[in-house]
Amino acid sequence: MTLAQSIFLVALSAVVVVILGFTVLVVNSARSSDGGGYISTLLVRRMIRSPRERAEVNRWAFYLHRITGFMVFGFLALHIVDVSLFSFSKSVYDNVHTLYGTPVLRVFECGLVFAVLFHTLNGLRLLVVDLADLSITASTKALGIVAVLTAALGTAGCGFILAPVFS
Amino acid sequence: MSTTLNPRPAEAVAQTRRRHSRRTVYVMMRLTGVLLAVLVTGHLLVTHVVTDVAGTDAGFIAKRWGSALWVTWDSLMLAAALGHACAGVWAALDDYVRGAKLRRRSRVALVALTFALFVFGAYVIARAVYS
Repeated sequence: MTLAQSIFLVALSAVVVVILGFTVLVVNSARSSDGGGYISTLLVRRMIRSPRERAEVNRWAFYLHRITGFMVFGFLALHIVDVSLFSFSKSVYDNVHTLYGTPVLRVFECGLVFAVLFHTLNGLRLLVVDLADLSITASTKALGIVAVLTAALGTAGCGFILAPVFS
Repeated sequence: MSTTLNPRPAEAVAQTRRRHSRRTVYVMMRLTGVLLAVLVTGHLLVTHVVTDVAGTDAGFIAKRWGSALWVTWDSLMLAAALGHACAGVWAALDDYVRGAKLRRRSRVALVALTFALFVFGAYVIARAVYS
């Protein structure tokens, strides 16, 4: 492994640590200041039962929106720097870039695709909630659609990204 | 001591200005969001589906930045994403950072970071285009 690749991997690890730290911060303050419960099977059961705990589901969608947004921003900061290598040395860029094709990075990219998809679809849902003045029932239904679309499109995306690993 | 019931004109003006800037941020957050929904999805499709990520080497970038469409696409994406991210983290700081001094410092750090990333990214694209 070259020095440039090592620096990239250290920077990527730092970004992942910062994202995990931010996630802990959001979930902890959800518990202390917003009255959110512990993440548990009980919480999940409460949110998927019918009729749903709509306020709670929507609140967790807000936390997830914040966490996925931060995740994408964290990666973007690193991505701007690694693509910038192209302008300074094409060989160093290519050297660092080969890491993107490794299985570990491909798994990371899958996580990123799920994060981008959820953040995008949920963001569009929020726009529709405001513009069409959706009720809490309708906006919770829309959140269900967002979850299904994120899972379906994310799985399809992962198929494309992981296919070369298995071929 | 000022009272909120009967604010002095200067305060009223400041309040109106704050309300308007919040509205501007709200609208820009949605506009950049819709723009990014298209730009980032397109970016992911091109770099992971149409071309496998292993194929996005220096030759791929050189070819892409030879086209005005992609230079515009990437520049717009850079500006919209950083503006959107800055406003998003700004709102998160309001929730999690306690104390006026620390909040002010973290806002300065955030704006400095996103601005530096924008200038650097724009410089990189410009350097690649004009070389």
